[in-house]
Amino acid sequence: MLDAAATLTQDRQRLELSALSAPAVIFTVAMIAFPVVYTIWLGFQSFSSTGKQSFVGLANYSKLIVDTEFWHGLWVTIALYVLSLVLQLVFGIWLALVLFHAKRLPGIVRSLFISPFMMPPVVAGMMWLVILDPSLGAANYILQCFGLPPSEWLASPTWVIPTVALIDSWQWTPYVALIVLGGLQSLPPSVYEAAQIDGASPFKTFQRITLPLLLPTIVTAAILRSVDLLRFFDIIYITTQGGPGNASNTLNIYGFRVGFEFFNIGYASALMLTLTAIVFGAVLAFNRLRGAVAW
Amino acid sequence: MMDAPTTDRWIRRLNLLQLVLAGIIIMTPTVWMVLSSFKPSFEVTAYPPTLIFTPTMENYIELTKTTPFVSYAINSLIVTVGSTGLGLLFGIPAAFAVSWTRISWPAILTLAARMAPGTLFLLPWYVMFRQIGMIGSYTALILSHAVITLPIVIWVLLPSFDSIPRSVFEAAQVDGCSVTRVLWRIALPLVASGVAIAAILAFVFSWNYFLFALVLSNGDTKTLIAAAFNFIGEGSTQWGALMAAATLIALPPLILAALVQRWLVSGLTLGAVKG
Repeated sequence: MLDAAATLTQDRQRLELSALSAPAVIFTVAMIAFPVVYTIWLGFQSFSSTGKQSFVGLANYSKLIVDTEFWHGLWVTIALYVLSLVLQLVFGIWLALVLFHAKRLPGIVRSLFISPFMMPPVVAGMMWLVILDPSLGAANYILQCFGLPPSEWLASPTWVIPTVALIDSWQWTPYVALIVLGGLQSLPPSVYEAAQIDGASPFKTFQRITLPLLLPTIVTAAILRSVDLLRFFDIIYITTQGGPGNASNTLNIYGFRVGFEFFNIGYASALMLTLTAIVFGAVLAFNRLRGAVAW
Repeated sequence: MMDAPTTDRWIRRLNLLQLVLAGIIIMTPTVWMVLSSFKPSFEVTAYPPTLIFTPTMENYIELTKTTPFVSYAINSLIVTVGSTGLGLLFGIPAAFAVSWTRISWPAILTLAARMAPGTLFLLPWYVMFRQIGMIGSYTALILSHAVITLPIVIWVLLPSFDSIPRSVFEAAQVDGCSVTRVLWRIALPLVASGVAIAAILAFVFSWNYFLFALVLSNGDTKTLIAAAFNFIGEGSTQWGALMAAATLIALPPLILAALVQRWLVSGLTLGAVKG
């Protein structure tokens, strides 16, 4: 009798808990899961200029293989990704060490350090557009002051990728630094003390002790940045729209333009599914790496 | 050979120097943007650039006169508040249920949605919203932005709910409280600060999000971020107004972020790092 009552309450409880997560699950299925399935279906369709659609099988994917613009976009995406990630990790770790040794950080300093990545990337794009203007920008004036030749920055096909990587790194290096700082603060102080007693130099201590212990945190930062960097969009769309020419045409920009400027929804779907596979592949690879460096 | 305290002092000075250097690199572009927004129009494009000038409000006045800046701002506010509200409404109970049952797939499902490139959803949304005539509606914008806010709310709140001792819930249940009552009457007040952080982060990221509004808004519902494009077009020779627009767009997220800076990192990493 008591058992039956207990089971009844438990069933009721389970039902209530399901009901609590139901809105979020239904919303996500309606807004994400169903649309993604729809995108997969769209990837097998072709849309004519009159809006008529027809089933074309894998034609969009075979088109992808011979589309030089796709391979160019993949190259741009990877170049921008690797360059930005390396910049942000290297300077992020440096900045984290500096912040860690500063001991006390007043709130105002912390607010200052988070300001770049809390502002919209679109705003970052707008401000750097003005600073990096080839003829009137402040950046070239500073270069001149140091006797360096002015750069075309975003207007140069050769320099546009490094420049965009620089803008993104200005925005997100402090974020990486704060994550790594969190990792540093959670390390047991006893390991440093032991190293100090052994007479290890600060550099050796960092290389042999701090860095290996920090690796899981660094990989976490790399995962979080990879997700954003592989689908790079905002700053490029605001500053160059993929230009000059197609020099900064990342896969996400290319897919967006195929879909919403040329209205080739079928091919854009195939492009976006490919990019999504790349993003998830990178995350899974890094997740394995995190497992390998965990302690 | 220097003695230890002297070396220590030098190391500390060197560290401070690096800190100041990093601060300057981080701050200068933003300061430049704000300064430029207060420059008279003839001075903003001056070369070499000037640092000393008489500040003026003319750029801000020009911005509100020549563009529908205020109505864009109202659109941004409607979409951001709407999507933050929706994210909290769906996210709070979901986070509570995930924390209670330890069944994490609903939380992971929403996170996966955050990892995929936005264009992946935007293509089918565009096709579907067009069919039911919802392109340009606030509803479409709020629903799409809730895809951003929902995982933020869930993942920021999960650790907060997890940190409440189970015995608190069990005691309440013995007193005959239903699960839903435990959430609203007992758990929610205990995680109030977590809810505030989740709300602020959701607001900031919804406010900053560019891609969805670019396609799903129309002339009447265009948000500030989506309109930034127009400002650049009009501002090609008017850097002052462009920088005034940039400053005003960045202001709400920066103010909100400053309020919660201390708790921001653990929230931003969606629980990946305990800060």
